[in-house]
Amino acid sequence: MLKRTLVANRGEIACRILRACREAGIEGVAIYASNDTGTLFTELADLSVQLEGEGLAETYLNQEQILQIAIDTGCDSIHPGFGFLSERADFAQAVMDSGLIWIGPSPAAITQMGDKMTARITMKEAGVPVIPGEEVTGGLEEVLQIAPSVGYPLLLKATAGGGGKGMRAVHRQEDLESEAKAAMREALNAFGDDRIYVERLLTGSRHIEIQVLADKYGKIIHLGERECSIQRRHQKVFEESPSVALDAELREAMGEAACDAARAVAYEGAGTVEFLVTPEGEFFFLEMNTRIQVEHPVTEMVTGVDLVREQLRIAGGNAMSCGPLNMRGHAIEVRLYAEDPSNNFLPAIGKLKKFIAPSGPGVRLDTGVREGDAVTPDYDPMLAKLIVWAPSREEALQRMGRALDEFVVLGCTTNVRFLRELCTHPDVVDGWTTTDMIDRLWPDGWSPDISEQMSNAGLLIAAACESTNHGRVLTSSGSSSSIPSPFSTINRRFP
Amino acid sequence: MEFKTSEGRIEIDAKRDGSSFSLEGMKIHTGEELWLEINGRKQKAVATKVGDVWWVHVNGHTMQFEVIEPGASSADDEGGLSAPMPGKILEVHVSVGQSVKSGDVLMVMEAMKMEHKIVAGSDGVVEGIHFAEGDQVPQGAELLSLGE
Repeated sequence: MLKRTLVANRGEIACRILRACREAGIEGVAIYASNDTGTLFTELADLSVQLEGEGLAETYLNQEQILQIAIDTGCDSIHPGFGFLSERADFAQAVMDSGLIWIGPSPAAITQMGDKMTARITMKEAGVPVIPGEEVTGGLEEVLQIAPSVGYPLLLKATAGGGGKGMRAVHRQEDLESEAKAAMREALNAFGDDRIYVERLLTGSRHIEIQVLADKYGKIIHLGERECSIQRRHQKVFEESPSVALDAELREAMGEAACDAARAVAYEGAGTVEFLVTPEGEFFFLEMNTRIQVEHPVTEMVTGVDLVREQLRIAGGNAMSCGPLNMRGHAIEVRLYAEDPSNNFLPAIGKLKKFIAPSGPGVRLDTGVREGDAVTPDYDPMLAKLIVWAPSREEALQRMGRALDEFVVLGCTTNVRFLRELCTHPDVVDGWTTTDMIDRLWPDGWSPDISEQMSNAGLLIAAACESTNHGRVLTSSGSSSSIPSPFSTINRRFP
Repeated sequence: MEFKTSEGRIEIDAKRDGSSFSLEGMKIHTGEELWLEINGRKQKAVATKVGDVWWVHVNGHTMQFEVIEPGASSADDEGGLSAPMPGKILEVHVSVGQSVKSGDVLMVMEAMKMEHKIVAGSDGVVEGIHFAEGDQVPQGAELLSLGE
């Protein structure tokens, strides 16, 4: 049983974990950089300690400082959340070496899953399907020999590389030789190493992931899937469970594969195994995220399992509490970002002068911000996660649309209207969600379609507010007489 | 009253009746809360002003309207010295390296047949001048840079 946990994170996920700690009777210790002073998560902790230094490297990524605070404040455990230090095996090791409990899988499991080649080999050995592909060491001839067994279309990648260098898509056998030569040349020039890797190119596939939980007593279960295909700039914006692409048989097969993946690295705690699923229903291991994920709430809504409480329970040495799962209904999460969809979804900044969150049946909001907070370029632009649950997918989409209509954010540009229109987009309604959907439908960014009447209504509201000094008028209970009467302004400005 | 929107400048001439304003069959009731009435149907609106810009939320839409004060346009609170709208540079009052005080006029530009003064939002030193007299500038173009 844990007694005092340091949460090595900030914002929304720190709030989520600190609240779980409070519910579990565990004292929560928050750490915060100076520019996070006074934010919500620092208030949800039993104790908040300011980090010294500026910038991520000196604060939220500063292993020594964070560990020292945990020791100085008498913590027995550290929860890393997601991002930051959550998948750093060296940090997990340092925490354990200090005699504290790391709320997550072992450093060995993090390392095995963190390195793509190691993960691929481990999964292959465990019988988990990986994307068909081979490393080529024998030059061009071997490429030509291997390609047919991999299948078309295929992708040639520099083994040493990254960043798209030495990467070539080949759709036809005829193009293979010239493209392979080009890829090897590029790889040699860029990395001094002409080894390439031949992999099947999976187009039009879906990103579907399986949530797993494993405890110290050998129990490993999967909690169904999350469909996370709707992405922009490789970041997810819309996630749901269950996926329309899976039937009971495929779900069970993928769930089994995910449990096999976890078992192969002696996994402990909550983790997510990501798969690509082709239109034909083939699925391939992509990677395993060895931490709690941003979109974990959709699984919580359909399974009724509190994943963060289970993490705390498992790390404390107890068995997981969930028995046979009874999944019901449909859950959707959208990520509210401070960003401008009309400007290619680039991050926006500003002060949240109004932040009125939706409520009502089946609505959950996970956020770390409040009205009045400033959105700065210092951190991730995700402001909130809005999650809904409803008995069916159709009703969940309707509920999400309703909730997003209620969501008022003024002072900082957000993607709220974009998310709203996703809920009624034919591709989304029909379940044709693929990872390239946003790029395909809105290659130059997205702009709201506001009717002339609504636009005029907005203008009228602005004019009326300007004339009446809206928002600066004190109510009758206000006592200050130094505020100028709004009526003088009205007379002057409006005929 | 004049506003700037993404579609350009719009002038609005609403009728007032006490705390209500009407335009083309729409009515807005002001007070502690804002209610928009279209064809007898009322819906709540939320509005707040940030700098010169009114942010309005109504019917699931968020819109921005910048109030245009005829005659002068000063740099906003953030100290950004950008063109508030497309136009032409009429005068440049400073040179690179010159110290300026908050409120000093740095440039004068013309847009929509109106002159706009570009005013220093804080004390500082002119580090760069990006346009000369007679240049056409697009909306949002950075006109000058000011250092500490």
